[in-house]
Formats: sequence, structure tokens, C-alpha cells
Amino acid sequence: MIDMKKISILFFTLSLFAFQSNAQDCEKIVKVCESYLNGSMGKTKFVSDGQVYTAFLDREKAEFKTTFYGGSTYRIAASAGNDDEYVIFTVKDPNGNVLFTNKNYKNAPYWDFKVPKTIPVSIETELDLDKKVTGCAVMIIGFKQ
Amino acid sequence: MRKYLAYITLPIFMLFAACSGNESEEGKESIDEEFIDPNSSLNTNFDGKIFSIPSPVQTALLIKSTNLPFNNDLLNPVQNASDYTTEFKQALNLGIYGTDLGYSALYEQKAVSLNYLSVIEKLTGQLGLEGAFDKSFMSRFEKNNDNEDSVMIIVSDAFRKADNYLKSSNRKSTSALILAGGWIESLHYACELNKMKPNAKIKERIGEQKQTLYTIIEILEEYNKGGSNDELISELNDLRFYFDKVNIDYEFVEPTTDAKNKTTTLQHNINIKIDTDILNQITLKVENIRDSIIN
Repeated sequence: MIDMKKISILFFTLSLFAFQSNAQDCEKIVKVCESYLNGSMGKTKFVSDGQVYTAFLDREKAEFKTTFYGGSTYRIAASAGNDDEYVIFTVKDPNGNVLFTNKNYKNAPYWDFKVPKTIPVSIETELDLDKKVTGCAVMIIGFKQ
Repeated sequence: MRKYLAYITLPIFMLFAACSGNESEEGKESIDEEFIDPNSSLNTNFDGKIFSIPSPVQTALLIKSTNLPFNNDLLNPVQNASDYTTEFKQALNLGIYGTDLGYSALYEQKAVSLNYLSVIEKLTGQLGLEGAFDKSFMSRFEKNNDNEDSVMIIVSDAFRKADNYLKSSNRKSTSALILAGGWIESLHYACELNKMKPNAKIKERIGEQKQTLYTIIEILEEYNKGGSNDELISELNDLRFYFDKVNIDYEFVEPTTDAKNKTTTLQHNINIKIDTDILNQITLKVENIRDSIIN
């Protein structure tokens, strides 16, 4: 019985380390995403919407709704690791029409959207299963007027 | 024996979940196919739902673009901060003060901004968010507070850091309340300013909040710790009754994409209609909700 107890403690400790490692991986990916808003990719820096969208994905899609205001340019940045082409994101209009998917552009890790008139959109995020089947995916949205 | 089995099997599952994202020797992710069952509850997004609230700074920017002067009466007085003793009130009012900071900074109201910065520092300390609003943030803010673009970036980055910290430390209910507070404050600006002097752009911005209101209610319901959000959700559902009557006509038009510059330009048409009576009811309800939060 004592051995059993020792084994359970060992497993529990290992699992804590593993989870901590996963959280650290997510943090690294957040920094990659942040660099797309603040780095040298654009002439003007984008202002963050103040949120970080993180999901542990496998075969499922993560979907959320937001509003893009007219008169703004938005940047969507997504990453799931050091190789930036792991994440597919798709932007749809209120009727479900696809406005854009980075799948058609080699899973580009960021894309800009000029929005002359306000539009409620839904954004779907998934991993490119040919490249990565499970892991942490991070998305960040920024805007400029 | 059962107890020990539970101790072992749970960590095994946790280890599997935590390690499954590691790369194989070939450089690509790999996982045993037998574990990948699209119908299995294991193979879902297990971080919960994702919600998005547009930045309240964007409404402050719209207000400034209409050439309306700075209005100090719109802000939640900093003196109220000492009355916020629960995490619920602290989080909601941190969102409100964050929006007030953004608004005053946009209008280059340095003294006002610094007062709001100080109260934000106090509330973030109480909520354990010092990491996001640390000395480096304060120093960057003070050095750049005469540059509108820099200030917006610095403040928004700090709120993003706080959001990331709260979500990664499983405090999503606090994150939701901060977002809700910030959104209510920006809607309060729009409603009050439109009441003082009707403005077509601001009226339209109020109508554009329909989707965001639905998301705010959903996020507060999802992270309703011990029913603490019940009263606020009920108030927001009353507001929803009026927003349901905002009419949005949308027409899809194919967007154009410039692949070289990684830019897509949307081309759709949209028309937002709000009856004056409905707008007045929305204004009244928003004020009631905000009053119950700040007082």
C-alpha cells in the first residue's frame, strides 16, 4: 500500500509539471502573436482590443462572435507554435458567408481587414490537421483608425 | 485501493492531455489515431467557450472624431473607488475606470488621466493584477501621455496582459466582469452624449452594440461564480428587450483581397435603425445599470 501511495504522489507531481509546461507553451505563443501587432510587420502599430483568445484545440473548431466597427482596420493574428502556419482562421458575416480564410493564403499568421461599415462577424479557429493535431492556439485582435 | 486508483488515473489523464501537444522527432505533431475520436468528449476544445468584446476605446475614438469636447461629468469619480470592497465591484469598476482612462487620455487630459491611473493601480493591486500594471507600465504611460496613439497602445496592452493573466489562472469570471464594466461605460458615454445633443454617428454606434450585449450576457452566464452575476444578468436581459427591437439590415457583397499586402477590404451594406422611443428606453436602462455598478 505504501508503494501505491508513493506512485500516486509521483504521478501527481509529474502531472503538475506537465501542466505547467503546457501553460508555458501557451505563454510563448501569446508572445509570438503579440509581435504581429507590435512588431515590424506593419507601418503603424495596432491597438489591442485588450483580450487574448486562447484555446486548447484538437479536431474541434473554436468559434466566437465580435463586431468590427466601420472606419477601422483590424488585424487578426493567430499562432499555435514557432512554425506560424499551424492555425487556420475563417471570418464569416452574419449570414454565414465566408469573408476570408487564411487557408487560401498558406495559413498566413496575420491578416488585415479594412472595414468601411460596421459588421458583426464570427471567427472560427482550428488547427491545420496536416501539420498539428492538438495543442494551444492563440489569437489576438488589434485595430487602428 | 479505489482511492489510490483515482489518484493515479486522474494524473495519467492529465499527463496525456498536457503532453499531447509535444512535437515528435519528425517535427510534426503526432498522436495515436486510436485516441482521436471526433465524437469523444476528450477531443473537444477543453478551455471553454471563447468570447470577444470590442474595445471600449473605439467608442471614445468615435466620440472624439465628432468634435465633441471632453466631458468630465461622464466619468465615474475616482473617490468612489474606496467603496468597492468586493471582487465583483472591483472588477466591474476596473473596467469602467479603464475606459475613463482611455477617454481622458485621448483628450489629452493629463491631470485627469493620472488620477484615473492611480485608482486603476489601486484596484489592480486589490485584484492581484500588479503584473499587468507594474512600474514599467506606469513609467511608459507617464513618458508618453501626450501621445494619443502611444497611450492607447500602452493602456490596451496592459488590459490584454491582465486578461491573459486572469484567463490562464482560471479567473475568467473576473476577466468577464472587467470587460462588462468597460463596455457599459462606453455605452453610457454614447447614450448620454446623444441625449445631450443627438448625433447620427453616435446613435448608430449605440445600435451596433446589439451583438456585444448578447455576448456580454452569455459571458456573464458562463462565468457566474456562485450566482454573483444573477442581478446584473437580469438587468442586462431587460436591456436586451429593447436592443431586440433594433433593426439591422445586412446585405452581403463579396470582399476584395490584396494578397500582396495581406489585406481584405469588406464591401457589404448595412443599415441600423432604432426608433427614438427605443433609444430613450436604452439610455434610461443603461444609466440604471451603470448607477447600480458605480454606487
